[in-house]
Amino acid sequence: MTTVALRWVHRNLFAKPFDAALSLVVIPLMAWAVYAFAYWVLVQAHWQVVGGSFKVLMTGIYPADQLWRAWFSVATICAMFGAGLGLSVRPGRAALTVVALVVTLTGVMVAVAIDAHSGMLAAGSAALGVAAWCGVHRSALDQRLALSGLLAGVVAIFVVLSPPGFDVWGGLLLSVVLTIAVSILTLSFGILLALGRQSRITSLRLISTAYIETMRSVPLILVVYWIWIIVPLLAPDTSVPGLLRGMAGFALFFAAYVAEYVRSGLQAVPKGQIEAARSLAMSSWTLNVDIVLPQALRVVVPSLVGQILDIFNGATLVFIIGLTDFLRAGQMILADPQNSGRTYEIYVFLFAVYLAIGGVITYASRRLETHLARGSR
Amino acid sequence: MNAIQVPAATISRDVIVGIARLNKSFGTFHVLKDIDLDVGRGEVVVIIGASGSGKSTLIRGVNGLEMYQSGRLTVDGFDMPTEADREIGGERELARIRKGVGMVFQQFNLFPHMSALDNVAIAPIRVRGHTPDEAKANALRLLERVGLRDHAHKFPDQLSGGQQQRVAIARSLAMAPHIMLFDEPTSALDPEMVGEVLDVMRGLAREGMTMMIVTHEMGFAREVADRVVYIDHGRILEIGTPAEIFDRPTHERTRTFLSRVLRH
Ligand SMILES: Nc1ncnc2c1ncn2[C@@H]1O[C@H](COP(=O)(O)OP(=O)(O)OP(=O)(O)O)[C@@H](O)[C@H]1O
Ligand SMILES: [Mg+2]
Repeated sequence: MTTVALRWVHRNLFAKPFDAALSLVVIPLMAWAVYAFAYWVLVQAHWQVVGGSFKVLMTGIYPADQLWRAWFSVATICAMFGAGLGLSVRPGRAALTVVALVVTLTGVMVAVAIDAHSGMLAAGSAALGVAAWCGVHRSALDQRLALSGLLAGVVAIFVVLSPPGFDVWGGLLLSVVLTIAVSILTLSFGILLALGRQSRITSLRLISTAYIETMRSVPLILVVYWIWIIVPLLAPDTSVPGLLRGMAGFALFFAAYVAEYVRSGLQAVPKGQIEAARSLAMSSWTLNVDIVLPQALRVVVPSLVGQILDIFNGATLVFIIGLTDFLRAGQMILADPQNSGRTYEIYVFLFAVYLAIGGVITYASRRLETHLARGSR
Repeated sequence: MNAIQVPAATISRDVIVGIARLNKSFGTFHVLKDIDLDVGRGEVVVIIGASGSGKSTLIRGVNGLEMYQSGRLTVDGFDMPTEADREIGGERELARIRKGVGMVFQQFNLFPHMSALDNVAIAPIRVRGHTPDEAKANALRLLERVGLRDHAHKFPDQLSGGQQQRVAIARSLAMAPHIMLFDEPTSALDPEMVGEVLDVMRGLAREGMTMMIVTHEMGFAREVADRVVYIDHGRILEIGTPAEIFDRPTHERTRTFLSRVLRH
């Protein structure tokens, strides 16, 4: 391993003629940093801590004998993601090869880090995602049907995960499920707010505008915390789990931003489109759902996907209401004196996972963007 | 609103569009002044006039895209809801009228996120409740009729202007309208594409479709029109057969207008 790294450094440091003074400084510095990091990753780091606490990182304090529920969710999320990909990206040979490689690698890594059983489950889930990708692409599934499938998937995840109680959800699973659920809630509520802000009914317009402007002028953490403490006051007899309260806070906050994105999209739809739809006797509902929103949304897809990333990254804030998200789970592991020297390993792992997920989401949005640009003027 | 159905006695059966003493203003700007015009079943009425004279406003009023302040406008025997009616929910009455009125715009206004086929099929599915299968089969028939069967799966940005306008005509026809409105359907087209659109419109006229057409194509107007209406500054100055209007205009203004457009 050392020799590989050394050879890499040799080739890049000394094989090139240095033509600029800048590269004299920058290249060695970067090479040194990369070398040092690679050396640390490959030689010095004790990655056992990640394998040993994998369950906590992924699911927090979710009961160990109920983990099949978590695996069900992983498989469902993979299938949903694959299906979403199938709507926009053709499963070409190159892409499939890369994905197959990643799937195998993930399976092997999980198998090595934990056990063969988990490795197979991980690889199986990923394979399911690939199958959904190819299947959806081949069948040219209707977008409405895909959307219903997505909703059904999210509901299924909640139904399957909830029996041990919402309070035990944690880790990366919590972050991801929260992001998916909040994104869906946010999008639907945000669209309604945007339409409300454009409504001819004055009271609706005022309420929507006031709501959007208020939410946009306060910090996320405040809204989340505020919803968390106010729900028990409003409904003293019922106990709404902290997770659901947290989700509500996130959704209420981000919906205001979605509303603004959607509004800019709505304004980009030419007036002639609305007149054409009206002259075909379309109702306001049809006009919005079939003509205006599809055109408005595709303009703002990049912003909306960026928003999903914001939600995912913002989900780290749920620790303030006592939930154990991915980042918090990492910190919990470090709180164990046994792992006190493993700070860098955990944080590098967290960083890598956040980076990978962020990268995948960004990539997906780019593809979606090109796909949606189809047929635009 | 509740008395949308017009008493049978007031309107002859064969009048599809009845316009009486219609007035329309944009704010303080009086656009349409005391318009009187009846369009009979199967009739082709061509509206001509200088830019800004109110042709678009008049024709758009017939399917409620513009509202009027006073006078009377009936379509298919239904009273067009006034501005006040719409405030309190005249949209449904409006939709009922619009089902029978097709409209073709200067800028085509095809839905850019749908294929030509879906553009034609969407309204019958969503508005008339047809099944997607029957709507698409019918859409294919209509696209064939406008000579675009082979382009059914293309998106609007893959079609030429003339082709887009023909899809737009098919889209309107899919609702099986009793009357078709055309607002300068060829004005946004390159000259070599004007003919293909006019051919489709000629076909419609031959089949007895009732049409109101705003156009600057005077040769076409002379050929298909049963009556030509000349509008000047929001007022109907002359109505007559093409021969009357084009060959023996009674008003000096009409003569001036015609000499100006015919010279081009
Ligand atoms: N939404 C509006 N608000 C205010 N004024 C308007 C509006 N629409 C049209 N007008 C004015 O009303 C007058 C009539 O417009 P209209 O579009 O009916 O003319 P037109 O005869 O169709 O002209 P063209 O041949 O240029 O299409 C014009 O002076 C125009 O500026
Ligand atoms: Mg006009």
